[in-house]
Amino acid sequence: MTHYGDVRALQNVSFRVEEGQVVSIIGSNGSGKSTTLNTISGVLRCSSGSILFNEEKIDQAFPHQIVDAGIVQVPEGRRLFPYMTVYENLKLGSFNSRGRKTLKESIQEVFGYFPILQERRNQIAGTLSGGEQQMLAIGRGLMAKPKLLMLDEPSLGLAPLVVEQVFETIKRINLQKITILLVEQDVFQALALANWAYVLENGSIMMEGGAEDLQNNPQVKEAYIGV
Amino acid sequence: MTTDLFQLVLNGLLLGGVYALISIGLTLIFGVLEIINFAHGEFLMLAMYATFWLFQLYGVDPYLSIVIILPVFFLIGLSIQRITIQPVLNSPPLNQIFTTIGLSLILQNVALFFFKADYRTVKTSYSDLGLNFAGLIISFPRMVAFILAMGFIGALLIYLKTTYTGMAIRALAQERRASMLMGIDVYKTYRIAFGIGIACVGAAGSILMPIYFVFPTVGSLFVLIAFVVVILGGYNSLIGSLFGGLIIGIIEGFSGFFISPHLKEAVYFIIFIFILLFKPTGLLGRK
Amino acid sequence: MTAIEKEFPPKSKAISGMIGLALLAVIALPLFIKNEFYLDLIVMIFFWATLAGAWNILGGFAGQISLGHTAYFGIGAYTSTLLYLNFSLSPWIGMLAGVGLSVLVAFVVGYPCFRLSSHFFALATIAFAEVLRMLSAYWRGLTKGGLGLLVPFKPGFEYFMFNNKLAYAYIALTFMLLMIFVTWAIKRSRFGFYLISLREDQDGAESLGVNTHRCKTVALIISVVFTSVMGTFYAQYFQFIDPEICFSISLSIQLALLSIIGGLGTLLGPVMGAFLLTPIDVLLRGWLGGVFAGLNLIVYGAILIVAVMYFPIGVGGWLKIRWERLLRDRMVTPPIPLKMGMASSLLPSISPGGDKTDELPLLRVRSFGKHFGGLHAVRNLSFHINRGEIVGLIGPNGAGKTTIFNLISGFYSADSGEMEFQRERITGLAPPHKVCRKGIARTFQIVKPFNNMSLLENIMVGVFCRIKDPWESRKEALRIIDFVGLGRHQFSQASSLTIADRKRLELARALATKPDLLLLDEVVAGLTPKETTGLMSIIKSISARGVTVLMIEHVMKAVMTLSSRIIVIHHGEKIAEGTPAEVGENKAVIDAYLGKGFRRGK
Repeated sequence: MTHYGDVRALQNVSFRVEEGQVVSIIGSNGSGKSTTLNTISGVLRCSSGSILFNEEKIDQAFPHQIVDAGIVQVPEGRRLFPYMTVYENLKLGSFNSRGRKTLKESIQEVFGYFPILQERRNQIAGTLSGGEQQMLAIGRGLMAKPKLLMLDEPSLGLAPLVVEQVFETIKRINLQKITILLVEQDVFQALALANWAYVLENGSIMMEGGAEDLQNNPQVKEAYIGV
Repeated sequence: MTTDLFQLVLNGLLLGGVYALISIGLTLIFGVLEIINFAHGEFLMLAMYATFWLFQLYGVDPYLSIVIILPVFFLIGLSIQRITIQPVLNSPPLNQIFTTIGLSLILQNVALFFFKADYRTVKTSYSDLGLNFAGLIISFPRMVAFILAMGFIGALLIYLKTTYTGMAIRALAQERRASMLMGIDVYKTYRIAFGIGIACVGAAGSILMPIYFVFPTVGSLFVLIAFVVVILGGYNSLIGSLFGGLIIGIIEGFSGFFISPHLKEAVYFIIFIFILLFKPTGLLGRK
Repeated sequence: MTAIEKEFPPKSKAISGMIGLALLAVIALPLFIKNEFYLDLIVMIFFWATLAGAWNILGGFAGQISLGHTAYFGIGAYTSTLLYLNFSLSPWIGMLAGVGLSVLVAFVVGYPCFRLSSHFFALATIAFAEVLRMLSAYWRGLTKGGLGLLVPFKPGFEYFMFNNKLAYAYIALTFMLLMIFVTWAIKRSRFGFYLISLREDQDGAESLGVNTHRCKTVALIISVVFTSVMGTFYAQYFQFIDPEICFSISLSIQLALLSIIGGLGTLLGPVMGAFLLTPIDVLLRGWLGGVFAGLNLIVYGAILIVAVMYFPIGVGGWLKIRWERLLRDRMVTPPIPLKMGMASSLLPSISPGGDKTDELPLLRVRSFGKHFGGLHAVRNLSFHINRGEIVGLIGPNGAGKTTIFNLISGFYSADSGEMEFQRERITGLAPPHKVCRKGIARTFQIVKPFNNMSLLENIMVGVFCRIKDPWESRKEALRIIDFVGLGRHQFSQASSLTIADRKRLELARALATKPDLLLLDEVVAGLTPKETTGLMSIIKSISARGVTVLMIEHVMKAVMTLSSRIIVIHHGEKIAEGTPAEVGENKAVIDAYLGKGFRRGK
C-alpha cells in the first residue's frame, strides 16, 4: 500500500515477476501504475506491505541503493537530462558501480540497439525527437546494467510506427536475459509482448492472467472505458 | 585621461575574476539546492581571516594557504549543509531564507567577537608590485588573483563536465527524479555541491586577502556584488556567473571613472533590480 | 438557527473581560514605572512591537518575506527630520509626509517585485534597502551622509519631543494599540481571509476570485505606513539618525525574528515576541556593553535557525492552536440539517427563472490552440457546453485535459482560438480571479486546501467572492458545509482531513463562489467506491440546482454514470463526442485508450 501524499494510491497490490519474464501492468490513468513502479524504485515509500527482490527485502531502501541492487526504471515521460548530450545522458546512466566498470562496452551495446543514438551522440538531449528520446531513455536505463528493467509507459506520445520499433527492441533486451516489468496504456502492445499481465484499476489489482487470455477478454475493455 | 579610464577598467576586470569565483559558488548552490545562501559572504570573510591569521602567525603566503583553505572549507561546507541546510530543504522558502540568514548573523558576530572590528591587511613582498604593460600598470596581486580565479573556475567547469560526481551535480540541477533513478545519491550530492560552493568562496577569500582588507562585515559587501553577478549572468548558469563577474568588474571600473567611486555600488544595484524585474533569467540563464 | 447563534462559546464573556483587564494593565503600566531605565525598556518594547506587527501584516499574513523594510523606516525617519530641520515643519506633519513618500516608493518598487518568487523577492528587497542606504550615506548635501542628523531638543507636543519619557511611552503605546487594532480588523475581514489564502496557495486563491496582486499591494502599503511612522518616532525619541541606523539590514532581520518567535500571522505574536526579546536584548547590551558587542546577535542568529527548524509557528502559533482546540471542544451543537429553503442559496447568479434548456450554449470554445515550446498541448479544439449539462472530459494520459481547464479558468492563455461564456467573449481573460467572478469555478487535480485555516474558513474564502460581510459569509459557508456533508468538521484544520473529505472541501470551496459552470478535475480519483458514490450524489445535487458541470475523470464508472455527454481528447484534439454508450463503442476512442491493435485482437 502506498500513499501519495495523503492519497491512497495503491491498496493491497500484490504481484510477482519471475526472472527472465516480461510482465505487464495495464490499467487506465490514475489506476496507480506509475505509483507501483515508483514504490519499487524507492521514490515513494509504501506504508504497508513489502517488496522482495531476489528474496531480499528492499522496501526501506533509498532509490540509489535500489539501482545498485539491479532494478532500474525508465521513467514516464523519459525525463532525460535536457541540457546534456546523448553521450552524457548515457554516461550518467552508468553512474552506479556496476555500470561504471563496463562503460565502454555498455555504450557499444546501446548503440547496437539504437544506431541512431550513435549518430547523434553529441546532440543535446532536449532537441531529439520523441522517438529518439525514448530510445535514449531506454539506453540510459540499460547503461546501469539492470537485472530488472522497469519501463513506465514507453509508448506515450509516440507515433505508432515508432511504438512498434520500441517494443521490438524491448523484446530483444528481454532475450538478453534482462527481466522486464512493463507499465503500459497501450494494451495491445503490452499484451503482445508479455508473458503475464496484471490489470490495475483505481489502485487495486482487478485481474491477472496470461497475456493470451487477457487479449480476448471483454472485461479488460470495460476496465478501461467503463462500458 | 583615457589611460586612467583603461586603468580603472583593467583593474575592474582583474577584480572581476574574483567576483566570478565567489558568484560561481553561489550559482552552484542555488542551481542544485535551490536555495539562496545568504551566508555566502560570511564564508568569504572567514576565509580571509583564516588567510590573515595563517600569514600573521605562521608566515604562510596567502596564495599558498589556499592549499589548506580549499579542503578545509570544503569540509566545512559539507558539515554546515548536513547540520543546518538539509533539515529545511523541504520546508517553505521562509524557513530556508531564515536559516542562512541566521547563519550569516552568527558567523558575522562570532568574527566580531573574536577578531574585533579593526581592518586587517596582509602585506607581502609583492603587495605593491606593479608590472608595466603598454603604459598601464598591472598590480601584481590583482593579476595573480585573476589568474588563480580563472584557473579555479576552469578546473571546476572541467570537473563538472567530465567526472561522474561533477556530472551528477549537473544532472541533479536539471532533473531530480531521473537523477534518483540513475543511482545518484541525492543527499550526498547536495552536500558535495554545497561543499564545493563553499570551497570556491574560500579560495576566493585567500586570493582576495592581498588586495583587500578584512573586517567582520566584509562579507556583506562582496555577497551583494555576488548576487548582482549571479542575477546578471543568469541564476542557473555557471558560465553566466563567469561572464557576469567580469562584466561587473568592468562596469565598476567605468562607474568609478564617470560617477563618484562611492556611488558605483548603487549603479549595479539598480542594474540588479532592473534585471530582476524585466529579465529575470539574466544573460545566459534558462527558464 | 441556534447553531449559528451559538458561534461563540458561553465562556466568551469571561474571555472578553480578561482581555479588557489586560488592556487596562498595559495602559496603566507606564504610570507605575519611575525608573528611567525600565521606562526606556517599555518604550522600546512598544516600539519593536509596532514595527514587528507591521512587518507581520505583509510577512506573516500575506506570506511575502520582505527583508528590506528598513528602507521605509529610514524614509520615515529622514523625511520628518529633514523637513523639521530645513523648514521647521512639525514632525507630526513630517511623519505624514514620510508615510506618503514611503507609500509612493513601496508602490513603485515593491509592487513589481511581487512577481518574483520568495527567494528572489527577499533578495530584491535587500538590494533596494541597500541602495537607499548608500544614497543616504553619500548624498551628503541632503543628509549630511555618515555624520548623521541631529534633532535639536525642543520640548513641546508640536515638536514631537518631550522631557518626560512617559509621553513617548504613551505615544508608542498608542501606535502599538493602533497596529493591533488594524491587524485585528484585517484578520476578521474579507481582506484578511484573502491574505491568508494567498499565502497558503496563491493559485487556489486566484481560482476563488481573490485578486492576489491587489491584496499583496494593500498589505504592503499598510505595513509600510506603520514602519514609516515608527521611523519618525525613532528620530524624535533618540534625536539622532544616520544611514547605518536607519537603513540597516539588522533592523529588517530583527522585525522578522520577532514575528517568527512570537508567531507569524497571528494577532499578538509580534507583540509577544517584542515583550520576550526586547528586554533580553536591552539587558544584554546594558550589562555586557561594548566588550561583548554582537553577542546578542549571535544568540539571535542561533534562535532564528532553531526556531525555523523546530518551532516554525512560534509562541503565538502554539497558543493559537490551543485556543482553537478550546473553541472546537465547545461546539457540541449538531450541524444544521439541510432544509429545502436553504438550498436556494446555492443557485448560481442567474435568475431562478432561467430556462434550463436555453438554446445557446453556456460555454463555447472555438479552435483553441496552445503549445509549449514545440509541443502542441491543445490543437484546434472546439466544443460547447449547454446549460444544465454534466459533461465528461476524458482521454488518455497527457492528452491535454488539465491544460484545457487551465485555459478556460485563466491560468494559461490560449495561443489561438476563442472562448465565449454566457454569450460574452472571454478569450484571454486573466488573471484567474476575473474568470471566477464571471461565474466559472474549478477544482484542482492535486487537492490543496488552505492548510492553516479551518474548513469553515476555507469555504468562506470562496463565499467572499459574492458576499462581502464576514457574518453573512459565515452563515453561507455553514450552509454549504452541510450541503457537502462536512458539518462535523467545520472547525477542524484543513490539514487534518482525510483525502475524501479534502476532495469534498475542494468542491465546497469552488461551489461557494456561486458558479454557473463548475470545472471538476479528477475529483473522485483515489477514493474508495463508497466515497466515490457519496461524492457522485453531491455532484448530482449540484447539477439539479442548476450548476453546469464539466468534469475530467479517469474513473470511468463515475464519469460514464454521471455524464449526459462525453468529450474525448487525445493528443490535444477532440476525437469523439457523444453519449457514454456511443463513446464506449467508438473505434477511435478504443484505439486511443487500448492501442490500435486491440480491436484486431478481439
